[in-house]
This record gives sequence, structure tokens and C-alpha cells, in this order.
Amino acid sequence: MFYLAYLKAELIRRIGKTLIIAAGLAIASAIIIAIISTSQGLSNSQKTVLNPLENVGTDILVSRSVENKKMSSLDATTSAELASENRVTTDLSKLGDAGDSFSLDTFMSGTMLTFASSETKKLTSDLVKEYASGLILTVTYQEGKIPEITAEFKTGGEKFEIPGVTPMTDAERAAVDAARQKAMDALKAKGIDPQSEEGRKAVRDAEQAATPERFKGAGSTFTAPTRTYRQTLETPQTDIKTESYTIAGVDTSKTDIGLILPSQITEGTYFKVAGQAVINISYAQKNNLKVGGKITINGKELPIVGIVDPKLYTNTADIYVPLADLQTIAGKADRINVILIKATDAKAVDATSEKIAGLFAGANVTNSKDTASKVTGSLMDATGLMNRFIGLVSVIIILAAFIIVSLITVFSVNKRTQEIGTLKAIGWKNSSIVRQIFLENLVIGVFGAILGIGLGIGAIVLLNYFNISFSANVASSNTLQGLSGMMRGFGGGPQAAASSSSTGTTANLKLNVGLDHLILLIGAAVAIVGSVVAGLIASFRASKMKPQEALRQL
Amino acid sequence: MSVIELKDLTKLYKQGGATIRAVDGINLSVQEGDFLVIIGPSGSGKSTLLQLLGCLDKPTGGEIKIEDKEINRLSDGKLAELRQHKLGFIFQSFNLIPTLTARQNVEAAIAKRGKGDKNKALEVLEKVGLSERANHLPSLLSGGEQQRVAVARSLINDPEIILADEPTGNLDSRTGREILDILKSLNREKKQTVIIVTHSDYAKEFANKVVEMKDGKLRLEKDKG
Repeated sequence: MFYLAYLKAELIRRIGKTLIIAAGLAIASAIIIAIISTSQGLSNSQKTVLNPLENVGTDILVSRSVENKKMSSLDATTSAELASENRVTTDLSKLGDAGDSFSLDTFMSGTMLTFASSETKKLTSDLVKEYASGLILTVTYQEGKIPEITAEFKTGGEKFEIPGVTPMTDAERAAVDAARQKAMDALKAKGIDPQSEEGRKAVRDAEQAATPERFKGAGSTFTAPTRTYRQTLETPQTDIKTESYTIAGVDTSKTDIGLILPSQITEGTYFKVAGQAVINISYAQKNNLKVGGKITINGKELPIVGIVDPKLYTNTADIYVPLADLQTIAGKADRINVILIKATDAKAVDATSEKIAGLFAGANVTNSKDTASKVTGSLMDATGLMNRFIGLVSVIIILAAFIIVSLITVFSVNKRTQEIGTLKAIGWKNSSIVRQIFLENLVIGVFGAILGIGLGIGAIVLLNYFNISFSANVASSNTLQGLSGMMRGFGGGPQAAASSSSTGTTANLKLNVGLDHLILLIGAAVAIVGSVVAGLIASFRASKMKPQEALRQL
Repeated sequence: MSVIELKDLTKLYKQGGATIRAVDGINLSVQEGDFLVIIGPSGSGKSTLLQLLGCLDKPTGGEIKIEDKEINRLSDGKLAELRQHKLGFIFQSFNLIPTLTARQNVEAAIAKRGKGDKNKALEVLEKVGLSERANHLPSLLSGGEQQRVAVARSLINDPEIILADEPTGNLDSRTGREILDILKSLNREKKQTVIIVTHSDYAKEFANKVVEMKDGKLRLEKDKG
């Protein structure tokens, strides 16, 4: 076939042009592949964060969570409940004698108020497919020595002086004594008792008369001014430490729905029997806790059997134990504060949510749509940006690639004006000329597409190699920050500790750009279509040229 | 028998505000086997006339008959077919496709493609004495060799008429004569009609009919019948 020989000759003997156009197409298609793949990788990551409920086999979450912003407008009953569920009273006098060591765990439900586990009976099998209950508590842990509480007050030692009076001389004192004796003698002589009213007055008058003039008037009563002593008692200085962590009671009767699932265990095992603990991977890392180790909760030692990477970002805890164990340890028998529900039908989630909201008056019924809105962070920024600009960027790149390829193609076809004119003169039909140039561009386009797929895969490998990670901040449904300070009566520690607690979760997600055949095809199509369209435009232009005009441009 | 009949053929160009009468009411009859040389200074309209004869351009007025067929009203496709089957073109700058070898350049013009195309092309190249250089690219050939390839290309479909636009214009006179010799022998052997537009005086020696063109009009200079 002559036109194939012609095609081959044209492509090989103008290899520079062939390569430049193919490279241009390849770069454009590689960029398209990389952008679409990245955007898909981002939205996949986003899905895992946005669908935290789905991650634990759950459609709907029921709690009595009190939202921060509503705190001020709570009714009295709820307020009181909130206060009583979160009170930390450390009565040092009851813990032992001064100098004794003590440790104490206080369990609080935070803003997620508890309710009786019997409430779950409302969830009948025609309403929901399955459910699991849970209890998530914030623990304030205190340890240290009981301080000695003493306060010292000093009073007395005041000196009162009456200035300007010379003390009595011996003669003056003798004179007063003599005067008193004389008066006594006179009373005796008259037969009057000196102890009687009359007698005492006579003696006093006599003494008064004998007292020197300068002492007259100094015998009045003296009142010391009243004073109030005030001293502030500082909190006793001891080594009491306060820490805070979260603990969750897991409904171990269910393995496909719950706060954590067996499939989320990254190390060790899920609960096998009661009295075991599973640790959140981030808490384990921070506190150097390992499978096989032990953890003490309110004086009770529990073996650590597993490390878990929980996916329910809105309700993660640091430590997980079976629900019954937590209820016992925390003294909250038959209390839970969250129910995870799987709807009978994925499509019925909204309707089921509504029905459940009706069953649990005053409860918070959350489904995945609501949790999605609580997510912020760089992942959301990046995805938002991508979503907003991916269309525009792709269009710009496709346009740029198309313009560049068109220009090169048109330019190279124009350079062949004489050639095309000659072909027409020797009898080539327009269709033959268009076909020839179309084929040339098709082959260049395919070549560019193959190159572009190679480059695109390279770019994806590179993106994954760089390990780009994004963070998604998931607001916890349990807020202690707002409560601290307000309800803690002791020490300055808990406030800081609460904010370092991992309850509000930052999920770090690695950007994983996947290879999708469809995306590679899209990239390839961009190269091929770009080249072919450009070639067609150029060849139609050339074929419309009158042959004598083509020949004239010699 | 007349192969080409021109009646009152006119071609006007608009250049700026002025109308140029490139071909101005020409009447001409070309007989089968004629070796016609059209001479004239540049700008006389002779190239335009050749393009009209070669169906590369359409006249403003008058008519062209090739083998008694009026071609004015033919479509572009039909004209392409006509060019391919009945006409052979030779150009001043040879107009070979630079990426194709001598043989492939000849092959490019083949009207009905088939298995024997390569040999057919080689045969024609042999006729013009270039079989040894069949696989060379045009850039490796001398001007005379390139023009011989172009001649071979014009012959590939055994056309009734060969149209040559200044075929010797880019060649020295010795090489130019070689090309004209080839055309003359074809003209003699196969009764192919040759029409050459040139300003080389020596071309007249090969012609049986010479017309001079000036300002779009023809003047018969020599007619040996």
C-alpha cells in the first residue's frame, strides 16, 4: 500500500517534527492523567473520612450529645444532669492521711449524656437491621501525695502606753496608804463595815484625796482597738498530677457494627473475654503501650490484647474495653451514651433517622451526612480546591495542548503546501490528501498517547513516592473543653489535659493516587483526539487550497 | 484530431484596483502528437495559460475542450481524475515529495494502484535513465536527475498530454536539452502531446509548433503541421 509507505516515510524522515508533536501530546495527556488520578485519590481519601459511620457498618448514630453552642440555652434538668455527670470532687480528707500516696479515676460523660441501656429495646427489628450500644467516657486521672493542710495565726504581744505621767514617788504612795489606813480606822471607830457600800466609798474618797493632782482623771477605762486578721490559704503544694483520657465501652456481642470492629485491629486481637483492653493506635504510640502490656483503670489492671485503628472519627476513644467492664469500673451500671444503628435499607437511612428521632425524644440522631459536615482540614481544602478547579484546569490543559499541537500541525502542513499542491496536480483527490494527513496525525497521536500513559504512570508513581499526607480534623461529638473550668473544682491540670485528649480526632490520610484504566484511556484519548482534530483542520485547509495557489508558493 | 481546443479563453485577475487580463481571449487548437512550445517573457500570462490547460485553475471566460470534452463544468473530483489519467505535469522546481525516494515519487502518481506498482515505477525510471538511483531521496539527486524523476512521474499513467512549466528553467542548457530530448522521443514514439511553457530559445528546436505569448495574447510563430 503506497499510502502506508508514504506515511512511514513522512514520519521517519521528519522524525524531529514527529517527536515534538508526540512529546507535546504526551505531556498534555500525562498532566491530564496525573490531575484526574490525584483528584480521584483525594476524593477517595475524603470518602473514608466523610463516611466514618460507614466505616463501622453504621448508618445512624443516636446519642444525647449536647452541642457546645446550645450549652447556654439548656433546660434546668439537663443542665443539672450535665453537671452531675461531669463533677470531679476530690475530697483529700477522705483519701487518707497527709503524706499518703493516692490515685483516683473520675469518669465523666462529657457532653454525651448517658441513658439507660434498656432504651435500646425501642429499636425493633422491623425498624433497624442491627444495632450496637456503646459508652464513651472521659476519665480524669489524679495521683500524688495527700498534702497537709495547716494555717498559722499569730496574735497578742501588743503594748499599750499612756504617755506623759511620772510614776508615783514612795512618799506619795505612803501618803495614799496612810490616807487609806486613816479612813479604815475612822470607819472602825464609827462601827461601819469597810466592805459595805458606804465603807468602800469612804475609803475610795480618802485615797482619791491623797493621790497627787497629776493622776486625777487617768483612772478611766481603756479599750484596745478591734482588728480583723485575714490570710488566704493557698492550695497545698504537693505532687498531684492530673491527666485525662477517653475510654469507650464496646458492645462485644456484635462484630460487624460497633465503635470498633475486629477488622480494624492492626496488631494483636479483638476482645476474647471480658476484662481485656484494646488501645487506640495513636494513644498507644504516644504512651508507648504494647500488646501484652497492662493498663490500670481505676485501680483495676487490664491486659492489653490489641491495637486498633478506629475509623469512627467522630467518636474515637483512647482505650477500649468491653461495655460491661466499663459500666462496672465507672460505676455506671446499665448506662450507655451512644447507639450505632444499621438501617434495614441503605436507601431508607433518612426515613429511619426520622423515625428514630421520634422514638428518642431529645436525642441526637446523626447520619453520615451530618458527620461529613464536621470535617475540616487540609484534605478538605485540597479536595475542595480540586473539585472547584479540576474542570477548569483540565480544560485549560486540553486547550493549551490542542492549541500547541494544532499550531505545530498547521505549521508543518503549511510547510508542505507545495507538496500538497503537487499531489493535487498529479491527480490526488482532496479525500486522499485528507486521509494521508489524518493517518499521519493518528499515528503521531497514538504514539503520543503511549508516551503520555508512560509519563502519567511515572507521575503517579512519583506522587505516591513523595508520600503526601493530608489531615482531616473531625470535631468530636463529645466536648469536654467547653465544660472544663466550669465544673472542675480542683487544680489547674485537667483543662490542659482535656485539650490534649485525642477525643477530637485528626485523621492523617496518605494521598494514595491509584492507577485507573479509564483515566489512562482518557489521557490517551486527549492525545489522539487532539492530534487527529488538529491534523484534520490542517489538512482540510490544505485541501481547500487551489492547486495553482499551492504551486505558486515556490 | 485535436486534443485540446481553446475558444476565446480568458482569465482575469484582480490586483489591487486594476484588472489584469492574464489570458485574453485565446483561441488555440492542439493536435495529437504536437510538441507545442509557448514562449514569452515573464508576466506574459503563459504560466496561467498552462494552469488553465492543466485544469489547475478555472477560466473567467471562454472554454477548454480536452478530447472534445468541455471541462469548465467538471467537479473538483472529476478534474482530479482527469489530471491523473490524461495529463502529466512537469514543474520548473521539479516538485518532488522530499520524504519519498525517486521510485516512491513516481509511484505517488499512479492512478490505479496494484501489486506491480514498484516495477512499473522502476520501468519508467529506466526510460529516463535513472533506474540506478531509484532509491535515492530527491535531496541526494542533481537538478537534472530530479527533473528526470519528475518526467518519469508524469509518464506513469501514460497520459495523452504532458504539460511542462519551465522544465529547463532551473537547469543548465546541457541538462535542459537532455530533458527536452527525453520529451521529444516520447512525443515521437508514443504520439504523446507535449506542451511546454518556457523562455529558453533552444526549446523551439524541439517543437513542431511555437506560439509566442505577450500581454495575454498568442501569436503563432512556427507551425510545421
